[in-house]
Amino acid sequence: MQCAERSRVQAYFDREVDAVAAADIERHTEHCPECRALLADLEQWRTRLRRDLVYEEAPPQLRTRIGAMLERESAVSAAAAAPARLRPWRTRPFWLGAGGGVGAALAASVAWLLLSPMLLRSPQPAAPLLDELVAAHVRSLMPQHLTDVVSTDRHTVKPWFAGHADVSPVVADFAAQGYRLVGGRADYFDQQRAAVVVYEHGAHVINVFTWVARARTYADVTTRNGYHLAFWNVGNLQYCAVSDAGWDELAGLERLLRDLGSRDAQP
Amino acid sequence: MPHLDAAYRFARWLTSSTADAEDLVQEAFLRAFRAFDSLRGSDAKAWLLAIVRNCHATALRQEQRRTFVPLPDEQEARSGADVLALSVDPDGAPGGRDDRLTLEQLIAGLAPEHREVLLLREMEDMSYREIADVTQVPIGTVMSRLARARFALRAQWREQTKGVPRAVR
Repeated sequence: MQCAERSRVQAYFDREVDAVAAADIERHTEHCPECRALLADLEQWRTRLRRDLVYEEAPPQLRTRIGAMLERESAVSAAAAAPARLRPWRTRPFWLGAGGGVGAALAASVAWLLLSPMLLRSPQPAAPLLDELVAAHVRSLMPQHLTDVVSTDRHTVKPWFAGHADVSPVVADFAAQGYRLVGGRADYFDQQRAAVVVYEHGAHVINVFTWVARARTYADVTTRNGYHLAFWNVGNLQYCAVSDAGWDELAGLERLLRDLGSRDAQP
Repeated sequence: MPHLDAAYRFARWLTSSTADAEDLVQEAFLRAFRAFDSLRGSDAKAWLLAIVRNCHATALRQEQRRTFVPLPDEQEARSGADVLALSVDPDGAPGGRDDRLTLEQLIAGLAPEHREVLLLREMEDMSYREIADVTQVPIGTVMSRLARARFALRAQWREQTKGVPRAVR
């Protein structure tokens, strides 16, 4: 006889339930050995798949081929729209047609803007650094590992770093924007004591690592073992947000922190 | 943006060769470019992967019409055990085989509709909503397929190792 909660436990594992349901399921698993075993099993398989299956990348020649193809395409759509644009639309009775042409050209250039960044990537941080960041993130998700200082108050978290890390990152509670400040942690990597500020967005934990940028800085996004990493820098500080939250959520936090960082840097 | 890689990975699991995967992705990008209006604020990755999947389905139908060979029903897809039986290394001791190879074979052995939800969830880290968008089934179906995929993977692994899965290193 299978426990009726199995499907909810799976949804919990996949972070598809809200906080109330999550608490409910956590209570349930405490008393249900079957669901506890299921959770452990799901975790084990995820780790295994993400570690052992090869994350194949598109071959460079495919990138080039598609790039050339899209360039041809956008040239064609722009050419198709051009004659309509040349006509003075005020005097033209069928201005709707002209509008359509311009609209098509616009759509084509927007499409180009969206699709081309997928092809033209800037150099990415080296694999060992990504591995370290992801490992630190995963480690932080284990019970009792998330934070060294638990607080939703930036006046508690920020000073704490003074004695525990080599950098002083920007810290703020963005609860109003959906990013709740949970606390801070110090992590040792890249031969220094990096500061980690922990945020929660819905059911997702976002670790924001900050360290002193050395020879090179990174400003890119990438995926490693299924986790998203967004890099940016402010002054000589390198920031990296790691999470299983979506790109948009990560970008939202990056924007908030960037703004705060550049305001902070003003004398 | 890593969507090209994701599209390519997805295509690799749908097709049998790298050349087919490349053609599929190229076709999908062309279609994505032309059908850009249909994006409408939905998640770009899910949107693109849905196009990859549709392109593949179309190509499959055309292929089918040309050759008149009926494709096996999805439910009759080779089970993991069959795939493994075909690829057993005659000299290798069961424990000596590479885990990675075995894992890939196990996944190849899943029914296509199970395999895709599993890969989109575990490897591409997509939400149920996004997976539902790609595979064009309701979220409830995504959940049940995911549960079945995970169950099948576990069961076939056990069958193959005749024991519990090895502890995660």
